[in-house]
Amino acid sequence: MRSATTSDNHVPNAQAPGESPSGRGRRLRAGGGRRRRAARDNLPEDVIPIEMYGLKRGTTTVLTTVCALFALFTLAPIAWIVINSTKTQANIFETFGFWFARPFALFHNFALLGQNVDGYGTYIQWLGNTALYAVLGGGGATALAAFAGYGFARFSFRGSRALFYLVIAALLVPISAITLPLYLTYAKVHLINSIWGMILPSMVSPVGVYLMRVFVEVSVPRELIDAARLDGASELRIFFRLALPLMVPGLMTVLLLSVVGVWNNYFLPLIIFSQNRLYPLTVGIGLWAQRAQNSGNAELFPLVVIGGLVTIIPLIALFLVLQRYWRSGLLLGSIAN
Amino acid sequence: MSSTAIRAPAARAARPGRPRQSAWIHRRDRRGLWFVVPFLVAFLLFMIAPLGYAIYTSLYTSRIIGGTVFSGGANYTTTFQSGEFWSGTVRVIIYAAIQIPVMLAIAFFFATIFDLGVAKWGRLFRTIFFIPFAVPAVVGAVMWAFLLEPQFGPFVHAANAVGFSNVDFFSPNLMLPSIIVIVIWEWTGYNMVILYTALKSVPRDVVEAAILDDTPLWKIIIRVKLPLVRPAIVLLLFLNLIGALQLFTEPLILQYFEPQAISVNYTPMLYIYNTGIAGAQYNLAAAAAVVLGLVIVVISVASLAFRRSRGGVSR
Repeated sequence: MRSATTSDNHVPNAQAPGESPSGRGRRLRAGGGRRRRAARDNLPEDVIPIEMYGLKRGTTTVLTTVCALFALFTLAPIAWIVINSTKTQANIFETFGFWFARPFALFHNFALLGQNVDGYGTYIQWLGNTALYAVLGGGGATALAAFAGYGFARFSFRGSRALFYLVIAALLVPISAITLPLYLTYAKVHLINSIWGMILPSMVSPVGVYLMRVFVEVSVPRELIDAARLDGASELRIFFRLALPLMVPGLMTVLLLSVVGVWNNYFLPLIIFSQNRLYPLTVGIGLWAQRAQNSGNAELFPLVVIGGLVTIIPLIALFLVLQRYWRSGLLLGSIAN
Repeated sequence: MSSTAIRAPAARAARPGRPRQSAWIHRRDRRGLWFVVPFLVAFLLFMIAPLGYAIYTSLYTSRIIGGTVFSGGANYTTTFQSGEFWSGTVRVIIYAAIQIPVMLAIAFFFATIFDLGVAKWGRLFRTIFFIPFAVPAVVGAVMWAFLLEPQFGPFVHAANAVGFSNVDFFSPNLMLPSIIVIVIWEWTGYNMVILYTALKSVPRDVVEAAILDDTPLWKIIIRVKLPLVRPAIVLLLFLNLIGALQLFTEPLILQYFEPQAISVNYTPMLYIYNTGIAGAQYNLAAAAAVVLGLVIVVISVASLAFRRSRGGVSR
């Protein structure tokens, strides 16, 4: 929406330099290349040419260098884990961490992920568990949030406001105050060592409800719903046929956030699972790291490394593929404003 | 939260004043409840009920002889008198007081750079910075544990090469700073993306007006942009604060690598985990969980009230 209005602004802006009282305006013309680049990147074209700020040319170089340094800091652990996934156990410790060493053990390490090493559990099984928990938990959270967000945004039934504020207040409640009691409750209802003990609580996402409500407010017009009602469509049909397609970008964002949340969850599965065949990756890798250090199972170190690498690859891939959903800041930004 | 509680009844009181809704609209609106019910059921079962059960459990004590008996505030007294619980609480407060401002400053710095477009390859850098958000805290902590490890970690070698000999990132003094670095690594990108989005929504003409007034760039950033993205900063302050006070995964993983530097009750969450799961003192752990929850709510509400009072003055 914004890009439409700002591109209208461009024409007068680009012609402004001559009349600009400030000397800086003269440099406006130099911004042309940037704008073209911005257009190619599908960015909103509201980047003001940096020359207008009166910055020297060297500033860009300096700031790019600062960015590069922070990128180096960000990528260092990733580079380390990629490099060390190719090493033997001895080489992980004895050779320089940021360079490769012979023998090339990547495939050997990788094959270990299919085995139950030292009886602590099989990585491939944990990967399957994690995917199951993330898909069902994240998918469920998104579905519940879509229904509830729509309900809160487009109906004002008795107590709807109070209920909504209760949900928002739940954002303040620390996970710690929920998780341990969940464990205690599970002991009573036999949900310890049950996959549902992990999946069902993952479906509760107050943030998701909040985001969906905001999203419905801005993207599903009331008039459209009322028109469909006058045509005699049922509420469910209106939701699925009319509202849901308009909510897709919001749904993707909530799905992305919830899947990542479940994929990375550590405390809940750590507490409720005591059988390693049920572990998600986080708990399994945590267990391996602990045993490798404290129980003398040093042969687990290469597994911790390759296991860590294989854990982060699907998520990083997911983020790169779905970039436009988090990059456009779609809902992340709407929480903030 | 307080204002919302006040606003809700006011709105309801105002309803009779509005043009009367037809019965059709009323019936239609009631149907909306069904959209909310599935979530509410899950919400009640997996959030409200455990919370209630925690409070209930915390009022009882299990004894070997005599079973579970009502003990009133005894568990709370034990928690309040536990030096380890409080030293952990003070530690996470110190940790939050350092980690959050540093991280937000870095995130705001880069968000501003990307918003102004004053660095090359901004798009690429933004993607790179966001990557750690996709890395589970467990894996992040494991990677950093290897990197910082005193005997073979490459960062220690690097520190030696630069001239700092005998640096031990896992010594009791450097452990908390090391954790801060790890968490900054994990969360700066996420904070940066939110701030960047907020900065992008600052109207262009406001900034252009400032430029034409010959306002220096730093003044545009501090005086024009910063106030306009304050809601985003406040939101991040909250989210980070709630997360920081529940610090758990990073110290637990680092404890595997360096048990001497991190006690079993290093943070309140570790205290709860250690007491409840390892020590099987459920009632005491429930009381500690309730106290930690209250600490978090009090700090959040206090900072909200503080913000509101200051916000009232500046506007």
